[in-house]
Amino acid sequence: MLLSNFVLLNTSISSWFDWSQLPVLIGTLICVLIVLYTTFYQAGRRKFKMREIAGLRAVEDAIGRATEMARPILFTPGWGGDIQRPTTIASMNILSHIAETTARYDCPLIYPTHDPVIMSVAQEVVAESYARAGHPDRFQSDNIRYVSSSQFGYAAAVDGLICRYEPSSIFLLGTFEAESLILAETGNSVGAIQIAGTDSTIQLSFFIVACDYTLIGEELFAASGYLSGDESILASVRSQDIIKVLIAFLLIAATLWATFDPDSSWWRF
Amino acid sequence: MRRRVPQLVCGLFGLLIFTLHFLTSDQAHRTYRLILDDYYQIVFAFALLVGVVSFIRVNLKAVERGKDRPYRIVSLLGLLLMPVLAMGWGIGGDSPFLWVFDNVQVPMQATVFALLAFYVASASFRGFRARSLPATVLLLSALLTLLSRSDLGGFMAEYITPVADWVRYNPSMSARRAILIGIGLGSLTTSLRVILGIERTWLGGGK
Amino acid sequence: MKQLQQRHYVFIGLALVVIVTMLLPYRPEIVPSAETRRMHEYIDSLPEGSVLLISFDHEASSLPEIKPLALALLRHAFSKRLKLIGIALLPEGTGVGYGLMREAAREYDMSYGEDFVYLGFRPQYVAAILSMGESIPETFPEDYLGQAYDQLPMLNGIENYDDLACVISVADGSLTTHWVEYGHARYRVKVSAFVAASMVTTYDPYLASGQIYAMVSGLRGAAEYEKLIGIGGSGARGMLAQTSMHLYVILMIIIGNLIYFRQKQRGRG
Repeated sequence: MLLSNFVLLNTSISSWFDWSQLPVLIGTLICVLIVLYTTFYQAGRRKFKMREIAGLRAVEDAIGRATEMARPILFTPGWGGDIQRPTTIASMNILSHIAETTARYDCPLIYPTHDPVIMSVAQEVVAESYARAGHPDRFQSDNIRYVSSSQFGYAAAVDGLICRYEPSSIFLLGTFEAESLILAETGNSVGAIQIAGTDSTIQLSFFIVACDYTLIGEELFAASGYLSGDESILASVRSQDIIKVLIAFLLIAATLWATFDPDSSWWRF
Repeated sequence: MRRRVPQLVCGLFGLLIFTLHFLTSDQAHRTYRLILDDYYQIVFAFALLVGVVSFIRVNLKAVERGKDRPYRIVSLLGLLLMPVLAMGWGIGGDSPFLWVFDNVQVPMQATVFALLAFYVASASFRGFRARSLPATVLLLSALLTLLSRSDLGGFMAEYITPVADWVRYNPSMSARRAILIGIGLGSLTTSLRVILGIERTWLGGGK
Repeated sequence: MKQLQQRHYVFIGLALVVIVTMLLPYRPEIVPSAETRRMHEYIDSLPEGSVLLISFDHEASSLPEIKPLALALLRHAFSKRLKLIGIALLPEGTGVGYGLMREAAREYDMSYGEDFVYLGFRPQYVAAILSMGESIPETFPEDYLGQAYDQLPMLNGIENYDDLACVISVADGSLTTHWVEYGHARYRVKVSAFVAASMVTTYDPYLASGQIYAMVSGLRGAAEYEKLIGIGGSGARGMLAQTSMHLYVILMIIIGNLIYFRQKQRGRG
């Protein structure tokens, strides 16, 4: 009876479950468990430490410099992302920290974006950061503005802002595409200190050549934890490291397996 | 309450989309399509409206203050003109909408894009300096790649291109893959934190 | 008038080099690469009447590079009597894609609705890619010109990716990645790409792993494809300007380093 029930259940599962996606399901569940473990179990029991990231060490200096020079700070998340993109969320976390500091120093923060949803969220993030710093009156919603959804319309608008306001520090953190070098070179021409970070590998090369500091790939995700010291973010960075080690082991195992048994296929999914 | 409801909606939809990914039934496919085709597009349309309103507000304020007035007026007229042309005469082959697009929008966009060529030259002039060993490696790889993508024939095609291709397919691709895995994991943990409600910045600041 | 800076001379030099080489009558000899040949052979191998979905995933700005690439592809496909469905996932690619399809179709006397259709733009690219995997007619109930999907004879029986031979993304940015991550990973549709040269290294890992079946890139790729199909286009002409620009950049790098080492020596002295 039990066996026949099991067979029945198995057959019905077979009919609605996409078995080709089983490795994805297993992989995702492992990742979920690791994130939950580090966030809810480890985070309360141990202190996570993060290595020094030069670009993030320079954030405070960049804001201080802008205050001393009485020039604004420009922060833009690039043209390539939307609010559901994790890079944009990571960039919002950094914006929150920077906005809090600029509120304290009374340094204007300009935030042009190509996406109306990002604009709305950024306005909320910055307003709350200003309130947290105890200076809600210094918040100017028009400084966080939607400029254009078109790639080079956005690039031209941000270039225009850079040339007119001559910001002392520029943060290019988010998802960038071909506009990256146009923005970075214009920023350089007004003598701004530039901190950049993106998940686009091709644009990283442009940023490395043209900017003062570049956050490479995952450093962007770690940045908010680094800046705020938020335990939950640090825990997720820790979980990334654990998953990375697992992936490295899997890669080594698959490479060895494929070398000694070229006909095998379990690692091809 | 202001945060709880959207957080709950996000968590539920995240879980739903995740579950639907593994299901093959017609009902699952219909639900998936409903979310993507209808809900998503409606939200997007309203979000665009928010952007347009903000754009008009910021520019009108600037016109009022007299700051960059001519440019602001051109921006506002542009915003008005395209929908009027599209609604009045359509967007087909010989419509005024397509004419303005081809003869105003495209050249303007191409001009800004073309700036990239100039900036590549100035950034190379300024940035590719043999300051250290890693900088020298970067410099040499750049030179190799530039030469290999130029059509000089003879010696270049025979010797430089294979070396540049080796750099592209081996050290460069390995590094890129490692960065991509790191980015993928960062994205994965951030997404999970959003779905699980640990990450709340996207709601507008709340930690 | 502002005094000219060092970088302005770099700009003027570049403009002069490109203008002069564009005026030269010389056309370089093009040798098609293995990557371009693979794409050409694939299109060549498709039986007459196979359906290709061409996604114009680019902005209007990159037209000088995208146009020769797209036209080479469209000309080859029309010459093989393949059926083409055009779409755009970025608003600015919409008008461009429609114009390019009409231009190539006129050359081969192809009729709209029977040999090719243009479905136009769909916002939110990730949602659009996933949605087409479920149902193309429900994602695009009407074509670009407002005709109902079921009124277009060519589209009879085309429901989703299963009915297509391949999706070809003509892109100047990272949108092809989404075709790989969502179209290929979830629906197993074959994805190929015609991309701007700046994106090549972004897609190399996907090409090497087979997630992108074949890729043609940049003006060089366009020139190679033009040679393979035996039809002259603007790719070969652009190659000369590109080569001269590359040589100019190399010269700039050398001059930059000479200045750097001279300054360093002076500093020591």
